[in-house]
Amino acid sequence: MTDMELRDSFGRLLHRFAGWFANVGGLLMFSMTILVVVSILGRALFSRPVPGDFEIVGLGSAISIFLFLPHCYLQRGNVAVDIFIARMPHAVQVCMDMFAALLFCVLSALFVWRMIFGFIDTVRYWDISMILGVPLWLAYPFAILSFGLLSLCCLYRASRIPWDSSS
Amino acid sequence: MTGLEIAVIGLVALVILLIIRIPVGIAMMTVGIVGYASLSGIDPVINYMKTAAFWRFNSYDFSVIPMFLLMGEFASRSGLSRSLFEAANTFLGHRRGGVAMAAVGGCGAFGAICGSSLATAGTMARVALPELERYRYSGSLATGTLAAGGTLGILIPPSVALIIYAISVQANIVQVFQAALIPGIIGAVGYLMAIAIWVRLSPESGPLGARADASQRWNAILETWPTLLLFIVVIGGIYFGLFDPTEGAAVGAFGAALLAMWKVGFDIKILFDCIKNTAKMTGMIFLILLGADFLNIFMALTGVADLLSELAVGSGLNPYTILVLFLLIYLVLGCLMDSLAMIFLTIPIFWPIMAGLDFGMPENDLKLWFGILTLIVVEAGLITPPVGINVLIINHHAPNVPMRETFKGVMPFLASGVVRVALLILLPPITLFLPHLLM
Repeated sequence: MTDMELRDSFGRLLHRFAGWFANVGGLLMFSMTILVVVSILGRALFSRPVPGDFEIVGLGSAISIFLFLPHCYLQRGNVAVDIFIARMPHAVQVCMDMFAALLFCVLSALFVWRMIFGFIDTVRYWDISMILGVPLWLAYPFAILSFGLLSLCCLYRASRIPWDSSS
Repeated sequence: MTGLEIAVIGLVALVILLIIRIPVGIAMMTVGIVGYASLSGIDPVINYMKTAAFWRFNSYDFSVIPMFLLMGEFASRSGLSRSLFEAANTFLGHRRGGVAMAAVGGCGAFGAICGSSLATAGTMARVALPELERYRYSGSLATGTLAAGGTLGILIPPSVALIIYAISVQANIVQVFQAALIPGIIGAVGYLMAIAIWVRLSPESGPLGARADASQRWNAILETWPTLLLFIVVIGGIYFGLFDPTEGAAVGAFGAALLAMWKVGFDIKILFDCIKNTAKMTGMIFLILLGADFLNIFMALTGVADLLSELAVGSGLNPYTILVLFLLIYLVLGCLMDSLAMIFLTIPIFWPIMAGLDFGMPENDLKLWFGILTLIVVEAGLITPPVGINVLIINHHAPNVPMRETFKGVMPFLASGVVRVALLILLPPITLFLPHLLM
């Protein structure tokens, strides 16, 4: 299934991008764990935790999670109930899977559109975190890019499903 | 239209979307958005979508999930499964059925850290099946043990399923972890007893293994102590309030990364493999969380939870009848879908009903007790015929054992599971003892 998508250059490109997004997100997530460990050590040894570490962790994981979404989709990570439709004729399965891909494409495009306005609002009202004053808009570009890539991936998959005999 | 009617239409639409293989998170999101818009108009939904995803994902408390997943990934790469199984084997292997008992021990310990039933069953199968075959254990005992053993991890903290449950009912994660420990251990002991009874009835199915001497046992302990230490630090630290769950998860992920580096060296390819697997699981879970967010708003607007709760109370049914009914529903659903998805989908409906019934305990205790029962049954669905995903996985690793044999082998463990659930229903203090003690 995914092999099929790796055969044309656009599919390869999407898979590569989604992989990079995931790697960046994962490294960010791992640095969050290091930050927390440092904060615990600081608290235990010198009674000086990293101030507002939970704000950075929250924001950092939000960015990571957005970056994970396209990879998760391309690797078919989103769980579904398989048991009913697996017994249907192939043509029905193709239609349903295309419908699923297009539905997700529309939803993620909707998020791109809305989050651009969320981004503008967050900058305009200068939403910042309570303790460190980190501007919250920082997460939005990642969110918008990730949902954008996700929506492209869905569209691409919808276009490939009819030729994908294994689905 | 009344709220109830709209809610019923929404739920029917949700079920249809699920049946035609729309991923769970997307189905929930679609129904939530459309339902919300039909009740409040387009503008509030459109407005809400500007920031909803950000506020759902920007959460210190929820970051415990990707961190524990990362910990599980790193830990799986450090050869942990083999050393845990071998350690248990040096102590149990010489008994009748001992190698299978060691597999249960290994599954429990590995499952606790890895957090996924399927991954535990698959990983332990690779490690333990060759040993079980070498000592000529019967195919159904060997595969049944591993399929059932995979389900132990869900109750032994840290487990992502426990966290998801805690999020769904807004319970304290620490207390849910505390409540799960004793039932989890009872589960492992029950499985050991199932094996003991089995080999007593049919001794040839679980022959004696090799006896290990003191030095081998010592070596096995030396091999596993860093893992045990990590587990004790993470869980002990969380139980005794030294750090919160997210901090525990961060310590766990960091420690597991060090452990993996020590055992197999630093390898950027392995690091990115771990990250990719974490990304896949995390993306799945948070997409459902986001979908659940929209669905919950829609359901709250319809007021259906209160209605259902009134209905349940007004039905005059015994609360325990309703509880057992719910647990049976989970057993059936377990054949159809992933356990995490099941928790997300059903808890927002089932929990308000439970909360409205009188079990003679405070609501917080009820949350813990109901959650533990639910999770046990949810996991039992993974090994119940006719589908049983764990059984399929084990079958894939042991192609020479027919599927029917595996399902037969699972039966004693299911029976021990039924005894456990009955015990926990009749004696809530088993579950509530630890949270009360450590409060």
